[in-house]
Amino acid sequence: MQHSMTDEHSPPLPERRTVLRAAGASLALAAAAGCDVGPAEFGHPLHARARGVTEEALTYATVLDLDGLGRGVLVRTRAGHAIKIEGNPAHPASLGATDVFLEAAVLSLHDPARSRRSRRAGRALRETAGLPAFLEERRAALAAAGGAGLRLLTGPVSSPTQRRLIGAVLAAFPEARWHVHAPLADAGAAEGARRAFGEAVVPVHDLSRAACTLSLGADLLGPGPAQLRQARDWSAARAPGRAGQAPLPRLIVAESVPSLTGAKADQRLALPPAGIEALARAVAAELGIAAAGGAPHPEAPGIAAALRAAGPSGLVAAGRGQPASVHALAQAMNATLGAMGTTVRLIDDPAGAAEAGDLAALAGEMAQGAVTDLLVLDANPVLDAPAGLDMPALLARVPHTLHAGLYPDETALACAWHLPLRHPLECWGDSLAFEGTAALRQPATVPLVETALPAEEILAHLAGRPAPAEALVRETWREAWGEEGFEERWLAALEGGVVPDSAAPARELRLRPDFDPGPAAPETAGFTALFLPDPHLWDGRFAPNAWLQELPRPLEKLAWGNAALIAPQDAMALLVGDGAEAEITLHGRSLTVPVVIAPGQAPGVVALPLGGGRRAAGGVEPGLGFDAYRLRPAAAPWAAPGLALRPTGRVRPLVSTAWHHPVESDPPPARRVAQGEVIPPLPPPRSLYPDWSYPGHAWGMAIDLDACIGCNACSLACQAENNTPVVGPEETARGRAMHWLRVDRYHRGPPEAPETDFQPVPCMHCEKAPCEVVCPVNATVHDHEGLNLMVYPRCIGTRTCSNNCPYKVRRFNWADYARATGAVPVRNPEVPLRARGVIEKCTYCQHRIVAARTAAGLEGRPIREGEVETACQRACPTRAISFGDVNDPASTVSRARREGRHYALLGHLDTRPRTTYLARVVPAGTRADAMPAGTRADAMPAGTRADGVPASTQAESGAPEEPA
Amino acid sequence: MSAAADVSDTRPVADVPLKGQFGWRFALSLGAAAAGVLLLAYAVAALLIRGTYLWGTNIPFVWGFDLINYVWWIGIANAASLFAVILVLRRHGLRTAVNRFAEAAALAAVAAAALYPILHLGRPWLFYWVLPYPATYQVWPQFRSTLVWDFWGIMSHVVVTSLFWYTGLIPDLATMRDRAAARGKGLVARFYGVFALGWRGSVQHWARHQAAYRLVAALVLPMLVSAQTIVALEFATTLVPDWHQARLPLHVVITGIPSGLGVVLALAALLRSGLGLSRWIDEADMDLLAKLMAAASLGCGYLYAEELLTATLEDPATRDATLARLFGPYGLLHWGGAALIVLLPQLLWLPVLRHSAPAAVAIGLGAAAGVWLDRFALVAGGLLRDHLPRIGPLYAPSIPEWTLLLGTVGLFALLMLLFARLIPVVSMFETRHEESEAEVP
Repeated sequence: MQHSMTDEHSPPLPERRTVLRAAGASLALAAAAGCDVGPAEFGHPLHARARGVTEEALTYATVLDLDGLGRGVLVRTRAGHAIKIEGNPAHPASLGATDVFLEAAVLSLHDPARSRRSRRAGRALRETAGLPAFLEERRAALAAAGGAGLRLLTGPVSSPTQRRLIGAVLAAFPEARWHVHAPLADAGAAEGARRAFGEAVVPVHDLSRAACTLSLGADLLGPGPAQLRQARDWSAARAPGRAGQAPLPRLIVAESVPSLTGAKADQRLALPPAGIEALARAVAAELGIAAAGGAPHPEAPGIAAALRAAGPSGLVAAGRGQPASVHALAQAMNATLGAMGTTVRLIDDPAGAAEAGDLAALAGEMAQGAVTDLLVLDANPVLDAPAGLDMPALLARVPHTLHAGLYPDETALACAWHLPLRHPLECWGDSLAFEGTAALRQPATVPLVETALPAEEILAHLAGRPAPAEALVRETWREAWGEEGFEERWLAALEGGVVPDSAAPARELRLRPDFDPGPAAPETAGFTALFLPDPHLWDGRFAPNAWLQELPRPLEKLAWGNAALIAPQDAMALLVGDGAEAEITLHGRSLTVPVVIAPGQAPGVVALPLGGGRRAAGGVEPGLGFDAYRLRPAAAPWAAPGLALRPTGRVRPLVSTAWHHPVESDPPPARRVAQGEVIPPLPPPRSLYPDWSYPGHAWGMAIDLDACIGCNACSLACQAENNTPVVGPEETARGRAMHWLRVDRYHRGPPEAPETDFQPVPCMHCEKAPCEVVCPVNATVHDHEGLNLMVYPRCIGTRTCSNNCPYKVRRFNWADYARATGAVPVRNPEVPLRARGVIEKCTYCQHRIVAARTAAGLEGRPIREGEVETACQRACPTRAISFGDVNDPASTVSRARREGRHYALLGHLDTRPRTTYLARVVPAGTRADAMPAGTRADAMPAGTRADGVPASTQAESGAPEEPA
Repeated sequence: MSAAADVSDTRPVADVPLKGQFGWRFALSLGAAAAGVLLLAYAVAALLIRGTYLWGTNIPFVWGFDLINYVWWIGIANAASLFAVILVLRRHGLRTAVNRFAEAAALAAVAAAALYPILHLGRPWLFYWVLPYPATYQVWPQFRSTLVWDFWGIMSHVVVTSLFWYTGLIPDLATMRDRAAARGKGLVARFYGVFALGWRGSVQHWARHQAAYRLVAALVLPMLVSAQTIVALEFATTLVPDWHQARLPLHVVITGIPSGLGVVLALAALLRSGLGLSRWIDEADMDLLAKLMAAASLGCGYLYAEELLTATLEDPATRDATLARLFGPYGLLHWGGAALIVLLPQLLWLPVLRHSAPAAVAIGLGAAAGVWLDRFALVAGGLLRDHLPRIGPLYAPSIPEWTLLLGTVGLFALLMLLFARLIPVVSMFETRHEESEAEVP
C-alpha cells in the first residue's frame, strides 16, 4: 500500500472470509476485465488518515458530482460502511452543507437494485462470460483500424483523471471520437458567453457581495452544482440586514416557473420566456446598453435604478434554458455595472469539452453506420435523448455497444453489453467544483458490488494502459504536481478533501460590441412548454432513489411522481384542478399527464419536469410520473412554443402532501417582519405546575425563516441520520410518510402572485409538552436537559400523543416499515429502528448529544458550544438552523432567541417550545404579516377543492365531498 | 302461549330458555351471529398479524373506526344501563318489562366496546401496561392521561354493569333452577343452580337482595355519566380546537341516550314479537319507552342547536374548526346523524308507529345509526382544522375496519341471542312483585 498509516488509525479490517471472497472476486474481475488489479485494492477503504476518535466510527473526505461538477463531502462510516454523508467545510461547493442529492447518495450506494452483474443483450450474466474475450477482440480490431468507428459517449466530465484517460484513449485510437451528452447542459449559456466574450466561459456568481441581484430565470438558490455555495453566500449577504445594521440586499427574480429563488425574492415577476427576454432588453436599455433595443417595460426603470445603485455590487444572472441573447445581455449588464471581478467571475467551464462532439453528431454517425463500437460511460441517452432520436434503434445499428453504469437502466438494456460501474463512494477519482476547485475522490466504503468497475479503469484498459484506479488518479496528480513532495500533497489533499488553491483563475475578458445575437424567435400560439430538471430526480438519474422519490418536492409538495405545472389563470380558463389529466401535444408528439396548479407561474407556460416516468429505474416501480423527454425537441430543449393542452376529463392519482386548507390564522405560522420590527413577546405563561429547572444544559433550536430556502436538505439529512423508513407511494398517499422534519410551504396572497414562505417543522421539544401528559404509559417523557423523547420500547401505539401535538410532528409506524423486506438498506447503527405500532419523532439527534456528552466527560470538560450539531443543522446550506444550549447566554441559539424577530410557533398555546423561529425579514415599508382584508392565504383557484385535496385521492378514499 | 289471565304467572317467560327447540329462525340468527363473530376473529387476527396499517387512519386522523365504534358502543351500553338503573331505583313499572334485556344489551355492548381500546393500539398485546402494576422497571402509568382514566372507566363499567345484571338475575336463576328440576332436567337445573348461589327465597334473602340490587344500581348511576364523560374527555382535553370544548362531554352523554334507548326499544319490539312476550312487555311499556326516547331526542335537538350557537360565539380557531366539522367533508355525516337522532324518533309520538314492531325497530336502530354518524363526524371531522394546516388526506374507513365493525355487531348479536336462549328475558321476580302489588286493593 502506498499510503502511510499509523497503527492508531488502522482501518476497520474486514473479516478474513470477506477479504478472501473479495480477493477472489477481485481476481476474477481483474482477469475478466483484463485489468491488473491486485487483491490489495479491494476492500480497503482507508487511504487517508481518518477523522474521528474511535476505531469504529470514521469519517473520510471525498467528493461527489452533480452534472460532472464536484461537491466535497465527509463520509461517516461505521465498520467500513458508509452510513451518512455530510458536507466538507473545506470544499468551496459545499462549505459543510449538503443538498438532497448528496444526502441521498448513501442510499444509492446501498441500493439493492444497483447493477450487480454484467449483461449481454440486457440479460444478466452469471459470470462475465465472453466479455473479456470480446473486449480483447474489439481492442485488437480497433487498434488495427486506428480506432475508426470507435465512439465514446459520456456525461459531462470535469475529472482531470477521466479527461486525461479519455485523451489517452483518443491518442491510442486517433480515429476515435468523444461525445458528451448532458441533458441539462445549457447550450444557451455557452453560446451567450461566446457572443459576449468570444469564449465559452462560465460566470461564477458571488452572491455574498451582491447588493442587488437580478435573476433572469436563474434558480440561484435552487438545486444544482452551485446551490450550496450560492445559498450560503446569499444568506451571508443578508446577515447584516437581518440584524438591522445595513439595508437588505435586494433579489429581483423574473421567472416563468416558481422556483426556490423566486420564493425568496424581494420582487418577483412571473413572465413567460419571451417576457424575460423583453425585460432583459428593457433593463439593459435603461442601463445604457445601446444594443439592447426592445420595448420599454414598466418594471425596468426601477430594476435598472436598483442595479445602478448597486454598481459593482450588482449582479445579473441568466438561468438554465434562457436563450443565448439573455445570457449575453446578462453578461453585458454585469460588465456595464462593473460587476466583473466583484459579483461575477468568469472562468473556463470546468466540465467544458470543446473537443467533444454532442449527441446529435453521434446520432448522425450512428444512423450512417459510421460507428462500429460505442462505449457509453455513465450516460443514459435512451432515457434522456431528445424526442425524435430513436436511440434504441440507433444503438441496434451499432455492431458493438458497451454500456457502463450504476444501474441496469434504459441504455444498459438497449446495449449489447453492460458492465456495472462502481458508485462514486466506492471509487478513486477526482473532480472539479463549479468554480474549478479540484478535489480527490477516495473510496469511503468497502465496495458493495464486487463485479463493478470504476470508469477510470475501463478507460485505462481501453487506452491499453490498465492500472488500478488509485494509480491512475495518482498519475494525473503526479503529472500536475511533480515528484517532489508529492506524497505529502497527496495525503493532504485526501485528508482535506480538497486540492488547496486550485480554483479556476478568473478570466479577464472584454465584452464584445456585437454580443447581441438579436431577439429570439417570437412567441407562437398555444402554450409554451418549459422543460426543467426535477428538484429531486434531477435529470432522472435519481429516480431509483426512494428517499428522493418520497420527499415532497419543495413547492408543489408532490412525491412519487411528477406533474405538468400550469398557471392558476390557465387552470381557471381550462377548468382543471390539481390532479386533472390532460393530453399535451408538442410537435406531433403526445403524452397524457396529470396537471398541478403552480401558484405564481406565468400564464401560457406549462412546466414539464424531466426525469420522471422512467421505464427502468432500478427498484422503483416503472411508470411513476411521466417522461417529459418524450416531448423534448432537440431544437428547443428548454422552451418550446406550440404546446397544445387538452384536459381529458379524467383524474390521475397524485401523491401529494399538500393537504393545506386555507390558513387564516393571525399571525400566520411562518411570519414576516419588516426590517427592525420587533415581535412583541407573549404574556408570561401560566401553569398550575411549577416550572422545571434545567441546571445543566438545556437544548434548544432556532430556525431562521429568513435564511431558509426550502431546499429540503434538512428533511433528507434527518431521514438519513435517523433511519427514518421509506413507506412507498401508496402509504405516502395515505398520509403516512415518516419524515421527522417536514418543510411546510405557505402561499399567501393571490395565486397569480403569491408570497411563498417555507417553514421547517421538527419536533418543538415543548417544555409543557402536550404529548407527554396524554400518553397512558409514559412512553414520551422529558429528559434532564429538556428533550422531549420517545421511549420506543415503552410505546404501545395509542397515537394520542399525535392527536395532542399541535405541530403534528409525530409519525406512526402503521406497518413494519423499517424492517419489512425491501426496506431501506442503509442504517445508522446509533439510532434504533422503530417497530411496528410505535410513534417516532425528532429527537434533536439525541445520539449526537450523548456522543458529545461522553466525549466531554472523558476529557473532563463541559460540552462546548457548537460541539453538538443536529443532522438538519449540519445539512442546511444557509445555516438557518442553530442548535445549542439555551442556558448559555453566549450560545448561538441563545443569541437567536434574543433577537427581535424571534417567535414561537403557536406560542399562544403555551406549549413553550424549545424549537423557535426567527421571522423572515422584508425591507421596512413592505408589508409584513398584515394581510389585506379579503385575501385568503393559500387561496386556490376554482377547480380545486377548498382544502386542496386533489380530487383523485378524494375519490379514491371514498370520503364524502365537501360542499363547494 | 296460554291466555292465562294471571300475568304474574311467569311460566311462559321461564319456558323460553327451558324449551328444547328454539326453531329454525333462532338457529339461523344464531348462525348469522356466529358467522359475525368468526368475521371478528378474522379481523382481529388480520389486525394482529398485519397491524393498523390495514386501516384508513393517518396523521392527523390517527383514530378512525376504532374510536368511532368504541364511543358508539360505549354510548349504547351507557344509555341502556342508565335506563335500567333509573327504572330500578325509581321502582318504575316499566322495569319489569325491559330492565333485564336493557342490562343484557348494555353488557353485550360493553363487551363489543371493550375490544376497541385494545385493538386500536399499535401493539395491542401490551395493553396491560396501562394497568398500575408493580413492573420491574417501576414505570407507572401516566395518571394524567385520559386514556388511563378511560381504562378505569371501562373496567368499572364492565364490573359494575355485570354485577348489576347478575344481581338482578339471581332470584330468576333460582326460579329457572327449580323449574328445570321440576321438569327433570337435572343438568340444566345444576347449571342454573350454580349461578343462583343457593338462593332459597327466604325473606332474609329477599331483603338483602333488594338492598344489594339497589346499591349496585346506585353505583352504576354516577359511573355511567363519568364513563361517557371520560370518553368525551379523551377528545376534549386535547389541544385540537374543535374537540377542546367544555360542551363535548355533555354532547357525548346526552346523544348517547337515544342510541341506547333505541337499541332497547328495538330489542323490546323484537322480543315481544319474536318470543311472544307481548303480555309481559305490553303496549303501555312500549309507549313509555318510546316516549322516553322521543323526549331524549328532543333533548339532543337542544344540544345540536346549542352547538351551532356556541360555535359562532367561540374564538376563531374553535369556530373555524367546528364549522369545518359541521359543513366540511364530513358535514353530511353530522347532519345525517342529527336528523336520525333528533328528528326520526319524533315519529314515536305517533301511537301507530310505536306500537308497530317494524317501525319501532327501524326507528330505534335508526337512532343508534344516527349516533354512529355523529361519532364519525366528531372523531374524523373534528380534526379537519387544527392549529397548523392539515398534513394528511381525509380519513375514510377501509374494508378491514368495516369487517371489524361487522364483527362486533356479530358479537353483540350473539351475546343477545345467547342471553335470550339461556336466561329469562323478563325479570320474573319483578313481574311477580309488580303484579302482586297491583292486586293489593
